[in-house]
Amino acid sequence: MPPIIEISGLRKTYSRAFRQPHNALDGLDLEVAAGQVHGFLGPNGSGKTTTLRALLGLIRVDGGTMRIFGEEVPQRLPEVVSRIGAVVESPQFFKHFSGRLTLQLLAESAGVSKARVEEVLEQVGLRDAAKASVKGYSLGMRQRLAVAQALLKQPQLLILDEPANGLDPAGIHHMRELLQWLAHSQGVTVVVSSHLLSEVQQLCDSMTIVSRGRRIVDGNVADIIAGHGESSLSVRFPDAASLPEAAEALVSASSGLEGPKAAVSAAIDRDRLVVKGAPEAAWVTRTLADAGIYLSELRTETKNLESVFLELTGTAPVPGQTVQIGESVVVPQAPSVPVSAGEVTVQVESEGAER
Amino acid sequence: MNLFKAELRRIARRRLTLVFGIIAAAGLLVLAAVFWFTSSKGPTEAELADAQAEADRLNEENYEYEECLDDEAYFETEEYSFIEGEPYYEDMTHDELCADMFGMWTAEDLIYTYTFDFAAESPLILIGVAIIAGLVMMMLASSLIGAEWSSGGMANLLLWHPNRMKVWGAKLGAAAAVCVAAVVVLMVLAFGLLYVIAAARGEVGDLDSGWWNENLEKFARAGVLSVGMTLLGASLAMLGRHTAISGGIIAGYLIVGDMLVRFAAMALEMAYPERLSLYTWVSAWIEGRVELFDWSDVSSEQADVMVITSSEAGLLLGGIVFLFAALATWAFKRRDVA
Ligand SMILES: Nc1ncnc2c1ncn2[C@@H]1O[C@H](COP(=O)(O)OP(=O)(O)OP(=O)(O)O)[C@@H](O)[C@H]1O
Ligand SMILES: [Mg+2]
Repeated sequence: MPPIIEISGLRKTYSRAFRQPHNALDGLDLEVAAGQVHGFLGPNGSGKTTTLRALLGLIRVDGGTMRIFGEEVPQRLPEVVSRIGAVVESPQFFKHFSGRLTLQLLAESAGVSKARVEEVLEQVGLRDAAKASVKGYSLGMRQRLAVAQALLKQPQLLILDEPANGLDPAGIHHMRELLQWLAHSQGVTVVVSSHLLSEVQQLCDSMTIVSRGRRIVDGNVADIIAGHGESSLSVRFPDAASLPEAAEALVSASSGLEGPKAAVSAAIDRDRLVVKGAPEAAWVTRTLADAGIYLSELRTETKNLESVFLELTGTAPVPGQTVQIGESVVVPQAPSVPVSAGEVTVQVESEGAER
Repeated sequence: MNLFKAELRRIARRRLTLVFGIIAAAGLLVLAAVFWFTSSKGPTEAELADAQAEADRLNEENYEYEECLDDEAYFETEEYSFIEGEPYYEDMTHDELCADMFGMWTAEDLIYTYTFDFAAESPLILIGVAIIAGLVMMMLASSLIGAEWSSGGMANLLLWHPNRMKVWGAKLGAAAAVCVAAVVVLMVLAFGLLYVIAAARGEVGDLDSGWWNENLEKFARAGVLSVGMTLLGASLAMLGRHTAISGGIIAGYLIVGDMLVRFAAMALEMAYPERLSLYTWVSAWIEGRVELFDWSDVSSEQADVMVITSSEAGLLLGGIVFLFAALATWAFKRRDVA
């Protein structure tokens, strides 16, 4: 089966007064297979929204080709648009219309039945708020209305830009169920952009990670997590003073190991030691015991998307080093990253530092 | 077609439409009330008698006039010798001469009656109604486009209808259709109200085929002008992507820009400075022709005349609307929707 979305070499350059033009998309590739929930992941400003806008014909691009359902877009977009439901970045609606009227006008303009409007209002949980004007909607309610708007056409391809934005936990849960149901039992292909990594991990089957307008990696979510993200061990001691000593012991012991995986790193993270590249947990306990250091806790950190993501997009640049465009290194990283932390703030390096 | 119908419904459901509708209805009622209360078929007997009494009283207080009436030889002095041989005074009686010289009050001077003459006065009012309807529709159309942009609704709509030319066409078409409907309805209502008022409290006058021939054409041209204004408002809002930009440009030009241009023309001592004013062309378009006079050639008794016909005015005004509509179309087609 051919991919539902095929993008190759997409370029978009924003010209800026008195400054060098800015490549928001720098030869981006993207493929989305049918019947999947596909995550589109990247740090802020990496070009996710720009890509989706280009795909939906809202902006012109400066190069590259895009196909949806095998049709060249944006040229053939009018032919395929009835099969695409989309939400692009914090959707806004005319404030004085009610949610229902907003949907009804769209439905009428495309010849969708009125009954369908009620159906989607029910589906996104807006039935009781449908009569109120959008002015009084909360962020989450607007988001729901936007999703309702995208579902209205009964699309075969659903493109959602940060759909979880502003939703409460119940809403996120409901959204996840809905999207997975659509993809897995209705055969709808769903593309979800996000920087909520845990969200993507729970929701998506496959994903594409972008940085600075370029694809870094794509594939099955589980495969990516398995293939990247080294295992790491978190080690604690009764006395925090033994941390440096322990780190030194491990690193020096690792030089005795053979094989390509010989590089063991041990980084101190507050009151614990994060050990990467160790052959096995037993090797750590043995080495430390040999050095006369006894540990109080040893835990294997589960790998997750966050660590993969940070690894892929932010391979720990040396501070002060200039990073050239297109090297897809965006994340200035702390020496050690708490890999199990729930949320990571990803900061985009300031534009000036690029060059 | 669906899109066009949805656009019509969008306009109908907007609050601004309701507000403007109420304002228009109120305006018509005020207009009707003004004519109803100011117009009358003429003074009654009693009013005439009252006025006559008041005039007599005032005349009595006019000491010079009384003196003149009493003295048959009042004008036979050196001072009034100019009366002799003047054809204007020749046939006047003595009393009339006194009235002419010292201003005698009559009942007509004191009683003010205005009789609304439908045939003579309604065309101008109806054209005014059409133009005001056009101005209102221009605001409505710019808000229709502008609010769609600033609310983010445009991006949403384009996700459903990627063919921007269709979207633009539907919006322009809907705005123009509503404008035509509004102008026709308001003119018919105004016509009806004024006619009833004329029949009840004024004169209807001669509404013969000549009247209709002359005025229907003007009404139609005023209607076309209104549609042009609507399209211009929508185009400017599309270019500026904001209602306020469109409204600001139009109001700014009509109030300040037009004046500045005329000042510039005067400063340059250009012949016919009025021809730089938009208002001149608008009135030429509606009236059929406008003549501008240039008296700067002092050696000549006659002024130089410049004639602007309605077709010339139509070309210019239509050209302006077309230019902005084309620019807006081009911008909408090319520019990113961000
Ligand atoms: N209209 C615009 N004019 C100039 N630059 C723009 C414009 N829109 C986007 N950009 C730039 O393009 C880049 C990509 O922006 P984009 O909105 O696609 O990021 P994103 O991946 O969606 O980020 P986020 O996760 O924050 O939503 C950014 O560097 C941004 O500054
Ligand atoms: Mg975005």
